[in-house]
Amino acid sequence: MGVLPGTSPEASAEGGFGLALRGLSVAYGARTILRDLSLDVPAGSTTCLLGPSGIGKSTLLRRVAGLIDGPGTVQATDGRPLAGRVALMGQGDGLLPWLDALDNVLLGSRLRGERADRDRGLAMLARVGLADAAESRPATLSGGMRQRVALARTLMEDCPLVLMDEPFSAVDALTRLRLQDLAAEMLAGRTVLMVTHDPWEAIRISHAITVMTGDPATISRTLKPDGQTPRAIDTDSARDHWRQLMEALGEMA
Amino acid sequence: MKKILPLMLSALLLTATALPVRAADKLTVLLDWFVNPDHGPLYVAQQIGAFERHDLEVTFIAPADPNDPPKLVAAKQAELAISYQPQLHIQVAQGLPLRRIGTLVATPLNSLVVLADGPIRTLADLKGKRIGFSVGGFEDAILNAMLAPHGLSLSDVELINVNFSLSPALYAGQVDAVIGAFRNFELNQMDIVGKPGRAFFVEAEGVPAYDELIVISHRDTVDDPRFVRFLAAIEEAVQYMVNDPKGAWELFLAANPDLDDELNRRAWRDTLPRFALRPAALDHGRYARFAAFLEAQGLIDKAAPVSDYAVEAGRQDGR
Amino acid sequence: MSRLLTAVVTTFVLLGLWQGYVWLSGIEPFLLPGPIAVIETLIARHELILRHLGTTAQEIVLGLLIGTTLGIAAAILIHAIPAARRIGLPLLVISQAVPVFALAPLLVLWLGYGLWSKVAMAVLIIFFPVTTAFLDGLRRTEPGMLDLASIMSATLSPFRRTVALMLHVRIPAALPALASGLRVATGVAPIGAVVGEWVGSSAGLGYLMLHANGRMQIDLLFAALFVLALFSVLLWLSVDALLRRALPWQPDSFAR
Repeated sequence: MGVLPGTSPEASAEGGFGLALRGLSVAYGARTILRDLSLDVPAGSTTCLLGPSGIGKSTLLRRVAGLIDGPGTVQATDGRPLAGRVALMGQGDGLLPWLDALDNVLLGSRLRGERADRDRGLAMLARVGLADAAESRPATLSGGMRQRVALARTLMEDCPLVLMDEPFSAVDALTRLRLQDLAAEMLAGRTVLMVTHDPWEAIRISHAITVMTGDPATISRTLKPDGQTPRAIDTDSARDHWRQLMEALGEMA
Repeated sequence: MKKILPLMLSALLLTATALPVRAADKLTVLLDWFVNPDHGPLYVAQQIGAFERHDLEVTFIAPADPNDPPKLVAAKQAELAISYQPQLHIQVAQGLPLRRIGTLVATPLNSLVVLADGPIRTLADLKGKRIGFSVGGFEDAILNAMLAPHGLSLSDVELINVNFSLSPALYAGQVDAVIGAFRNFELNQMDIVGKPGRAFFVEAEGVPAYDELIVISHRDTVDDPRFVRFLAAIEEAVQYMVNDPKGAWELFLAANPDLDDELNRRAWRDTLPRFALRPAALDHGRYARFAAFLEAQGLIDKAAPVSDYAVEAGRQDGR
Repeated sequence: MSRLLTAVVTTFVLLGLWQGYVWLSGIEPFLLPGPIAVIETLIARHELILRHLGTTAQEIVLGLLIGTTLGIAAAILIHAIPAARRIGLPLLVISQAVPVFALAPLLVLWLGYGLWSKVAMAVLIIFFPVTTAFLDGLRRTEPGMLDLASIMSATLSPFRRTVALMLHVRIPAALPALASGLRVATGVAPIGAVVGEWVGSSAGLGYLMLHANGRMQIDLLFAALFVLALFSVLLWLSVDALLRRALPWQPDSFAR
């Protein structure tokens, strides 16, 4: 796999910050999803939240995004408010079907009532290799292409903190690998908190892997693989990490 | 032998009592509209047992759309209907196989009504005004005849279909006059709500007199013996009403308790003198004159001979 | 070309069935005339019929335009403002449940016998389908889109954020639902106009039909009915085509 030809790694974003999550609890009625969860997300690197389906990873992410409320605090390490400094990339591509690719990339400025920077939008599309698709509607694009448009949109927002919720789960395995590489390259230097259920994905692109288990969910352990991302997975250290993760997930005796 | 005779006798008696008494003939009559004092003789006949005496068991059905009964009779889906002479001329001209066999109300009830304290004093004042009507089919012929002596024609007035809310349209001021208002009804209604009206009677303003309510049957069934008996019972009822108007009103109410109000009481009083004293009798000349009038107004192509569409039920000499 | 041919052939088949039924059943012409008689009358009195068609067509189209505008506004208000929802939803259901002919005389009283009482009737009849369809669409906006838009507009004031989400996400997402409501509305708007005319009018196909009925001119009645039906079908097809063009991103199995 590797980096797409003709692109260059993203420079470190200015104003980067980490996250301090303290005592987060979320309950839906009588059911407690998260109880008193605390986590540090380091600045400028990618942290993966790994856990089985349904454990509350998405809930945690939405709590961090401020889409749901609850006890506990979510703070930026530089002390300033998070609003406007967060970009979200969800499970679906979240593309609006009535807008073409470029307008989707420019959605943020449209919502905020700002003047849209079409040139920059086109540049973002070019960076993910979709300059030709600028006037195409999402329905005419493949799943992988749509996720790339979503990635371009996320880049367009140019936020130091990027939250991702299993963004590559809806595409086929091959496309997923390519997208992981692209993301690792494009988001280098930003603080990324990504939710995934795939240990290999975590091993490939994260600098820290936080495992969530239990009901209500708690952090069971954190792994910090070394080396540059995207990593190769046919190495001994990769296989080692995988074993450790599976143990942590409770899948191995 | 001795034992068998009483047995046979009792068996005979039993079968004799089991045999039905001479059954009354059933007859269904479609009314022209919802039950109202115009139908007085029908219900009085029922209440004084006139139908029973003539071996009839009559059921009355009120339609929702006054245009339906003639069609149903013409399609043989109903036996008799109460309808209107002017409409009969038009229906027969359109090919409906109908016959008048009797008359219920022997005078016109139609009138042009205006507000009593309104600006319309004579028919000439109708120039440029709005006239409401409910769909009858011949209101423009009537209006033409009424306006002509005053030098006006239909193009001098605006005709608006107000369906059946004639008086409300008038006292809400949405029209200046209404045609098709029954003088025994609308005038009383307007009086009761405190907005009295003034009527121009059609037969006094150039329209030939006609029977407002008639009894019609299908062309092929005019000689049905039940119909003769039916009209005989109606005649008895009308006689009763003439002899004892108050008693007759009580009987009508007994059959229709929900009509016990001021409007119906007044309408009864005003309709009483108009019922045909001889329901079966037919005035050929009258029908011919009205047909000629409709022909002159262009509502029918050619006036057919009266005997084509109107007969006296039960006429013995076959004419 | 083949679509036109199919339409023509279908029409002929239907007319043939109609005529066949009339011949075989021997039904009286004053109950159901045959298509030949109706078409003869249609040709003979086409001026009269077309003149009245013009009036009714005006009522229908105006009713559709006004009703759609009101419906869209009502749906947005009901969705966005809780107080409007409390008042609006029951009123919405009432507007559908009350039989229109009960209200028709009142409308005629307030708005007169002219165009506007019929337009009001048509508006009343289509208000519910349009509003509920659009409201449904607004309610069913994909949460993923809303989450994304919320994050992107986090720096806006709550009011401006609601407006931005409504304008850029909810409304466009709900347009296909609105289109469904409009298709229903186009189908029923003629009823409103004609019922309005039955209650009080001096022009229009409904008025013409009443008049023809009163004079036992049943072939004219059916000719007017036929023209009304034809107009309604053409109107529906036009609106459908318009909607498909307005919403090109919406998958449509009818699209060629």
